[in-house]
Amino acid sequence: MKKDHRQSVLGNQGDTNPMLSRRPSRRKFLLKATGAVAAGAFGAVPLRGWAADLVNIGALYPTTGSMAQIGVGCVAAAKLAVEMVNEAGGIKSLGGAKLNLIISDVQSDTTVTRTETDRLISGNKLSAIHGCFASALTLIASEVAERAKVPLITGSSSDQLNKGRTYTFTPFARASQFAQAQLQMSKLVSDKPKVAVIFENTAFGTSTSNGLKELAPAEGVEIVMFEPYSAGFTDASPLINKVKSSGANALFSVSYLNDLILIVRTVKQVGLDIAINGGSGGFVIPDFYKNVGKLAEGLQGVAHWNHDMDADAQKVNAEYQKRTGYFLFEYAGGLVAQTFMIADALERAASTDPQKVRQALSTLDVSSGYAAMAPGGKVKFGPDGKNVYGRPIGVQWQHGDLASVFPKEDARAPLLKT
Amino acid sequence: MLETVVQAVINGLLIGGIYALVSIGVTLIFGVVKIVNFAQGEFVMIGMYISFFLATQFGIDPIASLFVTMPALFVIGVLVQHFLIRRVLGPNDMPQIFLTFALSLLLLNLALMLFTANYRTVHTSYSDAAIHVSGLYIPVAKLIAFVVAMVLSGLLWVFLHTTDLGKAMRAAAQNRDVATLMGINPNRVFCVAVGIALALAGAAGSLLMPFYSAYPFVGQVFVLMAFVAVVLGTLGNVVGALIASLMMGIAESLGIQYVGADSGQIVVFAMLLLTLAFKPNGLGGGRVR
Repeated sequence: MKKDHRQSVLGNQGDTNPMLSRRPSRRKFLLKATGAVAAGAFGAVPLRGWAADLVNIGALYPTTGSMAQIGVGCVAAAKLAVEMVNEAGGIKSLGGAKLNLIISDVQSDTTVTRTETDRLISGNKLSAIHGCFASALTLIASEVAERAKVPLITGSSSDQLNKGRTYTFTPFARASQFAQAQLQMSKLVSDKPKVAVIFENTAFGTSTSNGLKELAPAEGVEIVMFEPYSAGFTDASPLINKVKSSGANALFSVSYLNDLILIVRTVKQVGLDIAINGGSGGFVIPDFYKNVGKLAEGLQGVAHWNHDMDADAQKVNAEYQKRTGYFLFEYAGGLVAQTFMIADALERAASTDPQKVRQALSTLDVSSGYAAMAPGGKVKFGPDGKNVYGRPIGVQWQHGDLASVFPKEDARAPLLKT
Repeated sequence: MLETVVQAVINGLLIGGIYALVSIGVTLIFGVVKIVNFAQGEFVMIGMYISFFLATQFGIDPIASLFVTMPALFVIGVLVQHFLIRRVLGPNDMPQIFLTFALSLLLLNLALMLFTANYRTVHTSYSDAAIHVSGLYIPVAKLIAFVVAMVLSGLLWVFLHTTDLGKAMRAAAQNRDVATLMGINPNRVFCVAVGIALALAGAAGSLLMPFYSAYPFVGQVFVLMAFVAVVLGTLGNVVGALIASLMMGIAESLGIQYVGADSGQIVVFAMLLLTLAFKPNGLGGGRVR
């Protein structure tokens, strides 16, 4: 990448840029500029409206900004999924119509998400939308989609997405279910789990950890330390010092990547023998292993999707890995399944009208094929848009890969005791 | 019990060494050039990225890359002083504040554009190692960072007190007009001061790299602590900034251990306010060394 950059810089120096040289080219420049503006203005027109044999699917992902890493991976998966549907003959009930993916960058920003969702819906005849990965963004996109009466399907886990909405569908486990799964996993490590919960003192950290605290007694798990910390600390040692004094044998860390890396390293340096569960999100993406390396081995987490679940998932994973070099991570994998759920709905609706697609989604009931690629292998939406069979999957980093280890019926590898 | 306290003090002392490198840079620029450099943290960030790319592209150990980051940042410092800060030195403070603030925002957003917001880490053989002594542990990477930070601070002290240029710098800090009358070329002195300050920021970046992630906002984390240390140790006082940084590291660590894990900064800022209430000029008592 560095080399390319250098080459392009040298190339620019070699060129005599007509815009920079003096008089004779000013007219040329103006002509060119006008041409460019005109092309931009008219070029945009054909994008509008219904192409004869295309079904427009909107994709809202942050491909720039702080969440770009995951957003870019999602877009790659979304493109792969659309290709798969189209190669298999498109939507047969619509005369083999092909899916047309319209991608919009929501820039990891809530305000941009609102305007981009609006623009995407008003500028294109969409049959359905999927997005946005981060719950904070999805909540906003979902509000806009509800008003415009376009169905939105998402892997975001916020329970808020199932409240007072009729056009929003969530085929995977909800945030509240993640907490329960995490607590149950601690019992795999010890018969008498003593859990230390450390969480960053933000909305995300506080709500997730409170969920853990509320459910712990019912699951028979003792919480021996419950401690908020300021996100973005410079040093995890004092915090781990405290975990050590608490006598915990399992550590739940509700943290973003940078803090988590420091925590894992410090636990290792202290020589503390403790099972770490990093939860979901940034913990179950390839980037985590790239950053933490061997230290990640044996760390546990929870996910709403994993690439080793079934033969279909493994097949998609192999293709994705060939294209991007990384395994198909939780959110991107779920997204492939979502595309097939939309295709299934379109097939049954035999229409591109978003309201009819919504109707068909609400009666979706699949237990085989790519659309059923979810833990448990079944998808059927309840009146709140929640998959009635949705459940999370417990995962563990093993040999640089993420293996499903919990619950028993979803386990594809035995749990490594660290 | 005692073990926990000692461990907390060790942890605090080690991270305090990094705070010291950043805050000495800020205080040096303030003392000599009389300008607050809000962009100091971004230069730490640049140091980290240089170390990161040297490590990943050429396999150079982050600590060894000190020999690249320090000269590189020194040159950047001289250029920043000569082409930017020099233009706004005058009776009016406002342009100076906006200049370094704008520089900070520019560098931060440039880094976001070039390197994206991803965290980048370097693994060295000693990144995860620790020395265990009678129930206590000392992380090797932080120990190295601390020792190098103290050596660099010591070298700076020697430079300021024994060389002509160093003495000229202290003279300019004490009274710029008199120093100019004595034949000291202020711009030359300022260039070296800013250069050294940025070189220290670069050193902090290299020393952080084995145990901390590089990302565009990383400078903001350290610069806040640095500013507190600078005020606590008396503006412009190099030794004061060093001592205050170490104290803050320890206070933060003890605060996390005994008050609450999100209270480290509460303890630090409470310490700052209390000090200012009793010693408005900071611990150095207003003396510029």
